[in-house]
Amino acid sequence: MKKILEVKKLKKSYGDFVLGPVDGSFPGGVIVGLIGENGAGKTTFIKSLLKILQAEGEIQFFSNKKEDIGVVLDNSFFPEILTAEDIHKIMKNIYKNWDSSLFFSYLEKFSLPKNKAIKNLSKGMRKKLEIVTALSHHPKFLILDEPTSGLDPVVRKEVLDLFLDFIQDEDHTILLSTHITSDLEHIADYILFLDKGKVVLEETRDVIMDTYGILKCGKDEFSKISKEDVWRYSESRYGYEILVKDRDKIKKKYPNMIVDKITLEDLMVFVVKGRIL
Amino acid sequence: MKGLLLKDFLMIKGNVRSVLLFLVVFCLIALEGNDFLLFVPALISFMMFMTTFSYDEYNKWDPYAITLAVKRKEIVFAKYLGSFILLFFSLIITFLVALGIGIYNQNFDLQKTFTLLLGCGASILFLQDIVYPLFIKFGVEKGRIGLFVGIFLLSFLLGWILKNVSISIPQDIYSFVVSYLPWILAVFLLILTIGSYEISKKIYTKKEF
Repeated sequence: MKKILEVKKLKKSYGDFVLGPVDGSFPGGVIVGLIGENGAGKTTFIKSLLKILQAEGEIQFFSNKKEDIGVVLDNSFFPEILTAEDIHKIMKNIYKNWDSSLFFSYLEKFSLPKNKAIKNLSKGMRKKLEIVTALSHHPKFLILDEPTSGLDPVVRKEVLDLFLDFIQDEDHTILLSTHITSDLEHIADYILFLDKGKVVLEETRDVIMDTYGILKCGKDEFSKISKEDVWRYSESRYGYEILVKDRDKIKKKYPNMIVDKITLEDLMVFVVKGRIL
Repeated sequence: MKGLLLKDFLMIKGNVRSVLLFLVVFCLIALEGNDFLLFVPALISFMMFMTTFSYDEYNKWDPYAITLAVKRKEIVFAKYLGSFILLFFSLIITFLVALGIGIYNQNFDLQKTFTLLLGCGASILFLQDIVYPLFIKFGVEKGRIGLFVGIFLLSFLLGWILKNVSISIPQDIYSFVVSYLPWILAVFLLILTIGSYEISKKIYTKKEF
């Protein structure tokens, strides 16, 4: 698969906080989900990629053209006294590939008013406007920081479908950071998990969803589990929960114990809050 | 570049109605023949353009702007060019008002009007050249405070110099300065504007958002 972005030893320091060094490459035709708790470095990573922050290391895009990148940032957009019509007038003078008819068809599809100031739109409508603006110059790479926050489930589904349509072209890639990990379970191909500025997991969604699991057991059973089978664990008054990497292998090894499937939310909580044996 | 200019003008478009109303009132007062009032349109243009910095900052426009298909230096250049265009139009308005008042009072003086326009334009350009790097470096609020502190210190310093230092300018230098004043002023402002733009560009290129 063609690489669309490659980062080498990407590092950014903010006082006590250090992002990286992050290494990795993003292939075309995929959706990469960036997850992590608040303050894990997701926005810093995205801003470093976009050169909004000056980070150390190497960032190599498939193309040097900014025309090919569409962006949605968290809390940063056009001044809110402008309207969607104004945005159209501005963007058609910024992007050579700006597609007026596509932009207006998106406005219609998402019931976004043309002449209403951004400040008078609801949070969800504003977010939708940001997304359709990012899509209307035919980018090849979408970089989206929390694009679905503030959207109700119905609109979120519409937006996620839009992302899935976008990705049908194998030259297209999406890097998407979100708190709503259930969205990524539906659409992401890869998961990049940041914790305290470090990449703690870089894996395909299929591997995570199909092979990772949570083993549930009591205190006596817990003492019988080998240390190498425990990635993270948590203890509560009801017993132990253990994050395991190979669900089937663990099921065979400990046939009397329950091993459940995992969600990305479970994974996040375990990696951040779980204990290491 | 054109898109960035358009953005700033679309933002100030909302103020046009109230500014026009203000201009009508201003024209009526200026009929009395107070030349000082002719400074008002240029000052309004400066204040109107200053609001674009405030809007940008309030809405965190800059991080987003950096991701668009424009260079950082173009974002800075658009600010200088936009304010220059607005100032130019404000001077045309000033000229038309001065012409109208001159015709009404039957005392229109072309040379005096041009001197006045030069004074208005030069003062606002000087102000912009000083204030824009401050806005870009420190943000609008801190930049404004910096400007006021700067004006205060400069006035204090000039006052002290005039009171305590006796400066005698030779007559031939004085005559030279007076006869070439517009050109000296133009060259000074050109150097100041280029310098101001270069400083702003350097700050903005390195700035993180």
